[in-house]
Amino acid sequence: MTVIISDDSAGDWGRLLEEALSRAGTKSRHFAVNTLDIRPCSGCGSCSGKTYGRCIIPDDMQLLLPHIAACRTLVLLSPMVFGGVSHHVKRVMDRMSALGDPRYYLRDGELVKGMTGPGLRYYMVGIGNTSSAAERSAFLSLHEENRRIMDVEGRAFILDDVRDPAAMRQIAGEICCA
Amino acid sequence: MLLEQIRHVAGGEILYLPQGGSLDGLVQTMRQAGTIVISGPCYINTWPARLLELLEMAARMGGFSGQKLYGIINGGMPYVHTHRHGLCCLEFFAERSGLSWQGGFVLGGGAMLDGRPLEKHMNSRKVVPAFAQFVRHIAEGSPTPDSLYEEAELHPGRLLTRFFAWLLSAMVVKRLKQHGHDPDAPNWYLGEHGRRY
Repeated sequence: MTVIISDDSAGDWGRLLEEALSRAGTKSRHFAVNTLDIRPCSGCGSCSGKTYGRCIIPDDMQLLLPHIAACRTLVLLSPMVFGGVSHHVKRVMDRMSALGDPRYYLRDGELVKGMTGPGLRYYMVGIGNTSSAAERSAFLSLHEENRRIMDVEGRAFILDDVRDPAAMRQIAGEICCA
Repeated sequence: MLLEQIRHVAGGEILYLPQGGSLDGLVQTMRQAGTIVISGPCYINTWPARLLELLEMAARMGGFSGQKLYGIINGGMPYVHTHRHGLCCLEFFAERSGLSWQGGFVLGGGAMLDGRPLEKHMNSRKVVPAFAQFVRHIAEGSPTPDSLYEEAELHPGRLLTRFFAWLLSAMVVKRLKQHGHDPDAPNWYLGEHGRRY
């Protein structure tokens, strides 16, 4: 299963990607997080302690977390904001700590963490039509850092024109074929 | 603690980011300041969502006129590269919103301080003077070079890193067991699935 988490504040982007993935033969589930009640992570530490693996904030993230925990592929789709994702999508990323492995591992000589359960593929798609070259580079670097610290596979894409069916098709194809 | 040190040297007022409610008042205060220092934790390689929300709102409201902007990002990992996005993010915010980016400071290994003074940092010999220099730049209103925090970065080496991984994991496992959890159990949200599909 593929889960798409999108900030659709400025367009119906998540649905477009869901359709492109469907045409490429992949079943996906789409959540427009800008329409959901997802509160910021308070950093309470409960998910790595008293309620290990479970977030205690009672909001719509409780609906998303079972899907993210169970999916093989996670796609974050966001307008590119200051070289990263929007705060709507970042709220989901922050709250995903409940799905993280709180232990430390060694990869390429550095400390990393990881996700509970093996085999997650992690993608970020940034809508970057107004972004500078430096912002695009920062977006790709952010994904690479996320990928390393979560110890998962995947890559980032930058989409200039969300209405460009060929570009969307190409991204869907790469996600499906991975 | 870090902001108190800045206030002691450079003056100013410390404001806290409210975790709920409107951010309009905070943006108004930012507009009236001559110098802004944004300090926060590193969540998954950049700022937490609530701080991004503040930056998005400040950019949307506009009204900035060359305010000097500095940043401090503080995280558990000892490496600069795992935190650097936070400073890039502030630089882009400044460019797009009419502020003047003056540089920042990465404090890796900072989460272990847990509110204690910087002198308790595991690399205090380098971090304390580097941060003091950073604060002097703020007081003078001058740009800070990246080399300040880059040269204070801890390079523990493979053997010590392996020891840290073992020690920190052992502490995590002990805590989880105290709460009655099996660290290797499937995630709570997987329910009856028990695996990815």
